[in-house]
Amino acid sequence: MTPARLMPFLLAALPASALAQDSANPVAPSAQGDVSVTIYNNDLALVQDVRQLSIPGGVTRIEFPDVSAQIRPETLSFAAPDTAIIEQNFDFDLLSPAKLMEKAVGQTVTIVRTNPATGAETREQAKVLAVNGGVVLQIGSRIEVLRDDGLPVRVIFDKVPPNLRARPTLSVTVDSGRAGTRPASIRYLTPGLGWSADYVALFDRKAGKIDVQGWVTLTNATGTTYTAAKTLLVAGEANASGGQGYRSGPYRAQPPVLRRAGTETANREQLGDFYLYPIAARTTIANQQTKQVSFLDVQGVPARAGYEYRVGWLDSADQPQSAKSMVSFSTSGSGGLGDALPAGTVRFYMKDAAGASQFIGENAIGHTPMGSELALATGDAFDVKVKPVVEKRERLSSTRWRTTMRYELTNARKEAVTVDLTQAGLDFWNDDTRIVSESIVSKRVNSDSTRWTVPVPGNGGATVTAVFDTRY
Amino acid sequence: MRRIWAILIVTCAGLATPSYAQVTVISEKPDAISVTAYRDPDRGAGGIDARYPQGYALISETRTVRVPAGDAVIRFEGVADGMIAVSAVVTGLPGKVAQKNRDARLLSPAALLDGSLGNRVHFRRTDPATGRVTEEDVTVRSASANALVVETAGGFEGLQCSGLPEGLSYNTVPADLSARPTFSVSVSSPAAATAQVTLTYLANGFDWGANYVARVAEDGRTLDLFAWLTVANGNSVSFPEAELLAVAGKPSVKSNFRQLMTVPEDFTLAIRCWPLPSYDAPLPPPPPPPAAPMMEGAYDIVVTAQRRSESLMAAPVAVMAVQEELGDLKLYRLPVRVDVNASGQKQVALLEKRNVPFHLYYAADIGSYDYSDEGPHPLLRRIRMENRKDSGLGLPLPSGGTALFEIAGEQPLLVSTGEVRDHAEGETVELQAGDSGQLSYQAEKLEQRGDRARWRLTLTNANARTANAEITLPLAYKLTAKGAKLRRRDGAWLWATQVPGHGTAVLEFQSNAD
Repeated sequence: MTPARLMPFLLAALPASALAQDSANPVAPSAQGDVSVTIYNNDLALVQDVRQLSIPGGVTRIEFPDVSAQIRPETLSFAAPDTAIIEQNFDFDLLSPAKLMEKAVGQTVTIVRTNPATGAETREQAKVLAVNGGVVLQIGSRIEVLRDDGLPVRVIFDKVPPNLRARPTLSVTVDSGRAGTRPASIRYLTPGLGWSADYVALFDRKAGKIDVQGWVTLTNATGTTYTAAKTLLVAGEANASGGQGYRSGPYRAQPPVLRRAGTETANREQLGDFYLYPIAARTTIANQQTKQVSFLDVQGVPARAGYEYRVGWLDSADQPQSAKSMVSFSTSGSGGLGDALPAGTVRFYMKDAAGASQFIGENAIGHTPMGSELALATGDAFDVKVKPVVEKRERLSSTRWRTTMRYELTNARKEAVTVDLTQAGLDFWNDDTRIVSESIVSKRVNSDSTRWTVPVPGNGGATVTAVFDTRY
Repeated sequence: MRRIWAILIVTCAGLATPSYAQVTVISEKPDAISVTAYRDPDRGAGGIDARYPQGYALISETRTVRVPAGDAVIRFEGVADGMIAVSAVVTGLPGKVAQKNRDARLLSPAALLDGSLGNRVHFRRTDPATGRVTEEDVTVRSASANALVVETAGGFEGLQCSGLPEGLSYNTVPADLSARPTFSVSVSSPAAATAQVTLTYLANGFDWGANYVARVAEDGRTLDLFAWLTVANGNSVSFPEAELLAVAGKPSVKSNFRQLMTVPEDFTLAIRCWPLPSYDAPLPPPPPPPAAPMMEGAYDIVVTAQRRSESLMAAPVAVMAVQEELGDLKLYRLPVRVDVNASGQKQVALLEKRNVPFHLYYAADIGSYDYSDEGPHPLLRRIRMENRKDSGLGLPLPSGGTALFEIAGEQPLLVSTGEVRDHAEGETVELQAGDSGQLSYQAEKLEQRGDRARWRLTLTNANARTANAEITLPLAYKLTAKGAKLRRRDGAWLWATQVPGHGTAVLEFQSNAD
């Protein structure tokens, strides 16, 4: 029951050097060097990039193209032998015709007029006086507004000002003690890279077994491709912020997924208390790519189907309500999945009568230690229902009430089922709630709730009654 | 039907010296396909919105793929546009699937320009007077986010700033752009083989529901119940010759399918210039808003089977869905293959039961004793059926909309529409049959003394026939009724009585706020 390890994924060799730091040409080979990416669950990644740079002696400005477009520049750290950092800059003054014109104020440009009747061109030199809601030009001794007659006028600029760039550019100015090529490393944090796990669980109800495949899902929305990156996934959040964007809906008490936290240690590397999931070979994480890599493949793990229904205090229904269909299994090394599970979504499938896999529901799990007991609701059962009814409310004194509850359980399946029926809310308004009588013996789960394990015959029903004595 | 393209592409990942060549195999389209529709989990009971279906489907495609020995990338084309890539499962490949990738960088005007940054493109300018076209090679110097600056032989210029018709043309499409999000897997096969591969994935933009048509027989004692299975596909991909299934029940859905599906990319190309005087020629028109991927194209509602309200049960139904069990859910399978069209709705027969006995009664739910009554209110007509075999039904009834027809003269006419939830076998099914114009109730407070109040509840019947009435009253008070028996049902007091034709029924009771 050992989980399958990551498959090696071969990629082209790294470029021998990245001397040409041509920031203007992203189609040219990437300027990235030896890239390592460490990705956390909460849309955050640490990128380390070691580039071979030829740095002359003295003060030099080094540009770093091909960093994440979403870089948090304040987290940048630079290191290269025999250099001292003077300053780090992140420039995002981007080149556009409007910026080009703005920066040309006071300078001379060439204008080309085209005669709309004949197509004849005339060239003139013009000085840009101001760019405020329109471009004011001085041509010889005349003052003109550019294209105020609507006729075609081309404007040709001699050069682009140095700090107008095509892309946001990261640069470091260093004082180098010597000239020469050496490894220069940059590290930074960036949002836009994230990962979670997706599990495919094929449930065989009759055999009481599941086959589980685990995939780590990487998403890259940083605007940058990371070429041949050493990739490490950390099952944890480096700081606590950010939601998962889960579907919101009407509040319904959900049974907890994790029933018993495990006490086994998985055979994986750890960072602090986080498990690490390295991807075995270097991989290219393309921009706008969702990449899935297998990390777990286990067959025939024992699993159990069950039903649960939770009743809030004084809940009464005139229509039967579906019980939750549950699948329970273990992540233990013996008789379980045998691994720690990173947080993600488990999708359950089941074979139909023709042998094809059909989706039967999904649920979310948190980071789950090895050796845990999990119970996941896959959905609402069509055939197993519960109708809770408040039968009677009697006042015994000014602070004591007696409540008679009846729970009608029905099962339209052929085979008998067992429903875990939980009455909750026993200490929500009240304290010292006692069960005066009950038709079958319940197990008090905690101060707030008590649970009956009710067998319901096939194509039949069962009724549980209970009388509660509450004080408030 | 089967066309497999094996194209050798040397993927060098943008690097100068590829150390190793990888084969890309393109699987153009599936040989066979199966669509299992699931309902919108956030929708209540009742009918569906065929134009904007918010449920999902499990799509299972069988494809024939010629897998080479060694490492290869298999690209799957023609998948549903609502594909939720993280749910995809690929089985049947000879080797192990190492990676699954979905690339969402799409070919768009902005991406074309962005991908050409720093490259030479052709700058084309047309003289409006003479029609003379001049073309020169320029270098793109700014990214698409703001606007376009190109470097010409003479200097730098802004695109579409001069007022002359100007445009760019490109030599190639950047390598990593595709027309649609593509799904591919990396596989390492020990030997070359032709494999039957099954690609299974969840896709957004489907929904289904039942549509019940109940027709009351002339004697008013039984009804014929018929239901359509209505499936909607909001994707722009059609699934011809598909096996069609539908799942009833409520599978749990925790992740946000819509969010997993969408591509967070801005496709619009905004070319902006320096400020022009306001009395100048109009600015280039603003870029069109990004089209919502789901709403493209016109919708055709294809009602495959005709709605036959006049002869509801008359024409026989040739094809009826077959129900089977799927864990705790109900699976409906169509016995024949059908075309599931893009942006279309399809209806096939779901179930049919004739001569189902029912109980017609008149109901009112008196919610509180504290309101001041304003006069008689109509009682609600309801139809109650037992979903048991010995009562003419006895089958799972998936949720959907209902239409109740009764015969007036010769014709069946619509009496009431409503909706029903999922009903398991053995449950009691109730259908709304409209407000009664003939039977009404009135609650009058006769006396209030401290916590005690005395009430009179009067039911009146303008019909000739005796009517059954069921009135529920809250359980929160102690009730003492004179001359009638109240019993408890479903957490409320129930007064079940008969109202004689052209007569009244009266209940006097006392409430005690104990």
